[in-house]
Amino acid sequence: MSLIRQIWLLLLATLLLALVAGVTIVVRSARDTLQTQLQLKNSDNATALAQVLTQQKGQREMMELAAAAQFDTGFYRSIRFIGAGGKPMFQREATVRPQDAPTWFVALTPIESVPGVAQVSDGWRALGSIEVVSQSAFAHDELWHGALRAAEALGVVGVIAGLLAFLGVERIRRPLDHTVEQAASLQRGEYMTVAEPSVPELRRLTRAMNSMVERLRVVFEGQAAQVESLRRQASCDALTGLSNRGHFMAQLGAALNREDGHAAGGLILLRVHELAEVNRTLGREATDRMIRSIAQTLQVYTERAKGAFIGRLNGADFALALPQGGVAAETAKAIVELLRVALPAFGARVSVSAGAIETRHGQELAAAMTAVDFALAKAEGDEPFTVVSASTTDEVLVSGGEQGWREQVRAALNARRLRLATFPVVNAAGALLHLECPLRMQLAPGGPFENAARWLPLALRSKLTCDVDERALILALDDIARDGQPRGINISPASLQDISFAARLRTILSESPRSARHLWIEVDEIAAVEHFDIVRELARQLRPAGARFGLEHAGERLGRLERLFEAGLDYVKIDASVAHGVALDPQRAAFVKGLATMLHSLSLEVIAEGVSDAEDARTLWACGVDGITGPWVQAPESAPPAS
Amino acid sequence: MFVPDQEVWGQVDYWASPLEMLGKGRGDCEDYVIGKYFSLLASGVPVTSLRLVYVRATIGGPGGEVLAHMVLAYYASPGAEPLILDNLIGEIRPASRRPDLDPVFSFNGDGLWQGVGAQSVGDPVARLSRWREVLAKAHAEGF
Repeated sequence: MSLIRQIWLLLLATLLLALVAGVTIVVRSARDTLQTQLQLKNSDNATALAQVLTQQKGQREMMELAAAAQFDTGFYRSIRFIGAGGKPMFQREATVRPQDAPTWFVALTPIESVPGVAQVSDGWRALGSIEVVSQSAFAHDELWHGALRAAEALGVVGVIAGLLAFLGVERIRRPLDHTVEQAASLQRGEYMTVAEPSVPELRRLTRAMNSMVERLRVVFEGQAAQVESLRRQASCDALTGLSNRGHFMAQLGAALNREDGHAAGGLILLRVHELAEVNRTLGREATDRMIRSIAQTLQVYTERAKGAFIGRLNGADFALALPQGGVAAETAKAIVELLRVALPAFGARVSVSAGAIETRHGQELAAAMTAVDFALAKAEGDEPFTVVSASTTDEVLVSGGEQGWREQVRAALNARRLRLATFPVVNAAGALLHLECPLRMQLAPGGPFENAARWLPLALRSKLTCDVDERALILALDDIARDGQPRGINISPASLQDISFAARLRTILSESPRSARHLWIEVDEIAAVEHFDIVRELARQLRPAGARFGLEHAGERLGRLERLFEAGLDYVKIDASVAHGVALDPQRAAFVKGLATMLHSLSLEVIAEGVSDAEDARTLWACGVDGITGPWVQAPESAPPAS
Repeated sequence: MFVPDQEVWGQVDYWASPLEMLGKGRGDCEDYVIGKYFSLLASGVPVTSLRLVYVRATIGGPGGEVLAHMVLAYYASPGAEPLILDNLIGEIRPASRRPDLDPVFSFNGDGLWQGVGAQSVGDPVARLSRWREVLAKAHAEGF
């Protein structure tokens, strides 16, 4: 039973007890008083009557008359005259029932009417004794009315006491609820602090919990800083802070192959001519300054275009990946023109060339790099500050322009031309954790089911992501209901910004509670960075349904996500750009290990994405991840074949 | 020794218990009656055969001084002629031989004490009556 309810029961019991005790005491003392008064009256009246009878000179008729007159006043239950020999000489009796007092009350409070006795004589001759018993029915009625009045008065007092108690309990309940809420959130893994209540005991408790959360936050921040430094070591060029070659390649590979990547993109490769020669003439320090200046120029572009990223591939080579098709050549020209103005400040002989290509989703990393290398080689053959662009894209997606695409996405949604692909996520023992289920959409009736890279940008622009995510959720729940396999779906960051979205998800989940417990729902790490409060709220809303909630494509920003420990997540999927190739890169392995340790300390499960060979898998298990997924990962034997 | 209450107790009328009277060595009529009443009760005389009687006493023959007085009457059987124990005349005589006494009202411990119990010293009823007070005091003294 809850504390508040116990307090209430205690209060009610006390009030009731006080009421009953109060009424009982009042009734009892009133009864004793009435009984005494009755006895007194009996005694007095007996003496008075005896004196009157003694004056009758022993005339029996007169005596009877006097006694009868006394009796007929109605106040007596009985008047008896007992002769000197013990023989009753005269007797009158009447029984009057109480008018108002109920029988049970009379039975409960017996009033004894003690007979009054006095001696009657005629001269020296003892005639006998007279015994007078007064009526007690009146006393019972009086007592009953008194009891009712007392109960009424005490009832009013009780109601007032109850109201006061209610206010008092409310005063305790509010801070108690807050404290309990904090405790519950700690258990859920949302480490948050709350305002200290005014009740001293609760204040101490809350203060203790707050300071515990604070300590945890310090520990977490320490870990996060460590992980961030590991990430820098593993993936950053020491001089410029840009991604190093390995990391840029992993990022680019992940971007090209990611299920929900961009359909088209651009890649620019920029080279500083004769860096060794420049280094010799300018000196190391000036060269470093020049390199940093180029890095800064490039960084402006990543800040301008969301999803763009840059890397310093080796001493002289810089690469810029753009998240949008058709702008690579133009961007490269703009950058080179900027540098043409800026670089002569470092020395007359300093120059750059650039190659730019268009990329498309699903393209091989090696092919893209070869193409961009080829373009750069052509540019280097020309005069300094030349840009050569090569279009490798065979861009014929859908006819009818953007409007046509939009219609197709809408039509596919309406006609339910959707299905879920499945990719297994397994643990170290090879058992299935869940099936990762990206949504596939059949854009044209009868056509192929396309992955998100093809239709997600359109859905984004048409603001259809909520509907898309909702369909994916329903499909996943249906599939779970069919085969009982746990499934994971991802939610677009754009959907999160719709206020009604969380409620819609919760409604759908609550309709199939059994399947909901096997569902894993994830959002991109970037959503947690940009809309942290929305993500936390979503986690809170989904939790009661039993669904698990996590981040995907994580790694780059986790160390900077200061409030990660408040988010109430269940798991984190580490991005392919981090996990890919760990076997060959001890620094990256150290980063993954630090990340896994940090996440485990927050009770989060850690899953690595994009695992493509056995070596990587082995290294990842050694780093302490809980699950892996990717092209190399096979569904366990028990699982049904992926559809 | 007969002495009016005024002298013994400093009150117009004071009902002394047997021990109080013995302690003082003197008392008035009701003190004598009370002493005799309790002595007889203690010696086994049933309460129903004893009565304390208020009488109008004429002292010194007819036409003499009239005085409110109290005597103890003993009834050998109910309705029989009582024997009168009195401090005015030391001899115990049947009622017919006491023309100087005119009974007014009589009472005894029967009935009055009934249902009240021994604990009634604090009972308001008991405090009202001097007779009860005496009964209580006598009871407390072991009668």
